[in-house]
Amino acid sequence: MSTTTPVPTRSAGLRNLLTRKGGNKQGHTTFVDRAALGVAGLMVLLALVGPYLAPMDPYAVDLAKSLTPPGSEHWMGTDANGRDILSRVLAGGRTTILATVAVIAVATVIGTLIGTAAALGGRIVDEILMRICDVGLSLPAIVVALGLAAAMGPSLQSAVIALAATWWPGYARLVRTLVRETRDAEFVESARVLGVSRTRLVLRHVLPNSLSALYVQTTLDVSAVMLVISGLSFVGVGAQVPASEWGAMIAASRDTAITAWWTVLFPGLAIALTAIAFNLVGDWLRVRTDPTLRTGGR
Amino acid sequence: MNTAEETPLLEARNLVKTFSGRSGTRAVNDVSFTVRRGEALGLVGESGSGKSTTARCVAGLLHPDSGQVLIAGQDVTRARGRALRATRRRIQMVFQDPYSSLNPRMTVADLVGEGMYVHGIEPDRVRRRDRTVELLETVGMGSEHLDRYPRSFSGGQRQRIAIARALAVGPDLLICDEPVASLDVSVQAQVLNLFGDLREKLGLSLLFIAHDLAVVHHLCGRVAVMNSGRVVEQGDREQVYTSPRHPYTRALLDAVPVPDPAAERARAAGRGAVHTQNHHEEKR
Ligand SMILES: Nc1ncnc2c1ncn2[C@@H]1O[C@H](COP(=O)(O)OP(=O)(O)O)[C@@H](O)[C@H]1O
Ligand SMILES: [Mg+2]
Repeated sequence: MSTTTPVPTRSAGLRNLLTRKGGNKQGHTTFVDRAALGVAGLMVLLALVGPYLAPMDPYAVDLAKSLTPPGSEHWMGTDANGRDILSRVLAGGRTTILATVAVIAVATVIGTLIGTAAALGGRIVDEILMRICDVGLSLPAIVVALGLAAAMGPSLQSAVIALAATWWPGYARLVRTLVRETRDAEFVESARVLGVSRTRLVLRHVLPNSLSALYVQTTLDVSAVMLVISGLSFVGVGAQVPASEWGAMIAASRDTAITAWWTVLFPGLAIALTAIAFNLVGDWLRVRTDPTLRTGGR
Repeated sequence: MNTAEETPLLEARNLVKTFSGRSGTRAVNDVSFTVRRGEALGLVGESGSGKSTTARCVAGLLHPDSGQVLIAGQDVTRARGRALRATRRRIQMVFQDPYSSLNPRMTVADLVGEGMYVHGIEPDRVRRRDRTVELLETVGMGSEHLDRYPRSFSGGQRQRIAIARALAVGPDLLICDEPVASLDVSVQAQVLNLFGDLREKLGLSLLFIAHDLAVVHHLCGRVAVMNSGRVVEQGDREQVYTSPRHPYTRALLDAVPVPDPAAERARAAGRGAVHTQNHHEEKR
């Protein structure tokens, strides 16, 4: 059957490149892991308190100060409208990161429900749900986003909805594969012989032992989703122009990028740093939760 | 009239199970046997002979294509609902690999207490914990382990936990699917002795599966030999070990050094651990 997805190991190389040791097989937490965890934590913090940290009003237009280079007054310079870029990056983190978290959370919930139902619901349910997944997977996020933008008007909400709608089928497939593996595990059979109810079997025995690979995947996906959201904002179907969303900031600075590098560099760095940090955290999680490394006591 | 003595605790009647696959293997082909109260039946055969499939049919994990499983005379292959659950509870199973048969995310207390919880045997948390400690004692483990996870135990300890988990719902019969095959040789004997003790103490019946005749020798009064999905020989231990009728049994006997029965008895008597030899007819 073509509907099984192997557990993806998308960024396995990045960590090796950075640790130089070629694969940290013991799951030790290295300096890079700590740094990544730190940056990822910082970004989440930023999403919560960023707007309050902004030294200036991220929306205050001052055309007299248009395109001021980085200096003591504006550490990251100003954009074409004279708005303080540092303030906009700090405030924009909330928009970008919350939108990303919303996409991942919705996709995870839907994906887990559908994937579990497909794995445990019997042949017909499985077939129907997997065909729906195929349809979802065949639609590129950008096309759905453009469609939704046409129907609902371009906004960050429609970008989030479009992305969640195209992202969950991947999770549904992953969960289906994971649950099918766990379903036949001896400890599940042991619970069945004991007389455990179906609901308890799923909630207590199957899912907790299936989803660690999903959590790893969602962490790794933070960067991908963030890039797509920023990308959608960049092409104009996500966050709209005055908003201080990182992708929208870059989009708005398209014309000034060559003469005023700071207008795109700092929001770009914010995106890159966050993406790399979450990728590394996902990798670290993957190594830590790798079942072959968790034989403990054997 | 004493029906308890007439009706076997477990009866498998003409079980057939074919796996749909390329080969379409008939894993279990017309298998019948009975286990009476307090009796231990050894089910022996080489790997792939259909022992686990038989066990899984009996335990209700697989639905046989045809044939019946009767627990105390009640046909559980046809039954459904609450009555089935109550009857099923009387038969519990210990799996081959204690590294995969214990949910790695549950503590010992949860693992052992789960059966009591889901069947409402001991709904009170504190009393359930007390009972769990008792059960752990029964299988030779201390209460200091209650809040640990399976990964911190050795294979032998894990198998003891698995046994305690099965015993928690008060079964009459334990299906043991090669329960020592994946353990270190040094602890195999200890776990085997535990099964002997449990029979003695709790009057537990056993359907004990092994791939060689040596393992079941001191535990089972009666032995059934399986080959290619069929039971080729079934009888009292003495008869099977000393005068096997089927060539396959003879081959199995030649393959493993079954200890000289007389010497084994002497050793067992000295150790006092094996009480049930030659008492396969014993009643509770
Ligand atoms: N789930 C299954 N699907 C297909 N074939 C199976 C399955 N389980 C067991 N078999 C086959 O059935 C036969 C008997 O297997 P099993 O009952 O596990 O034997 P044993 O426990 O005696 O080693 C083997 O040929 C095995 O390959
Ligand atoms: Mg087997």
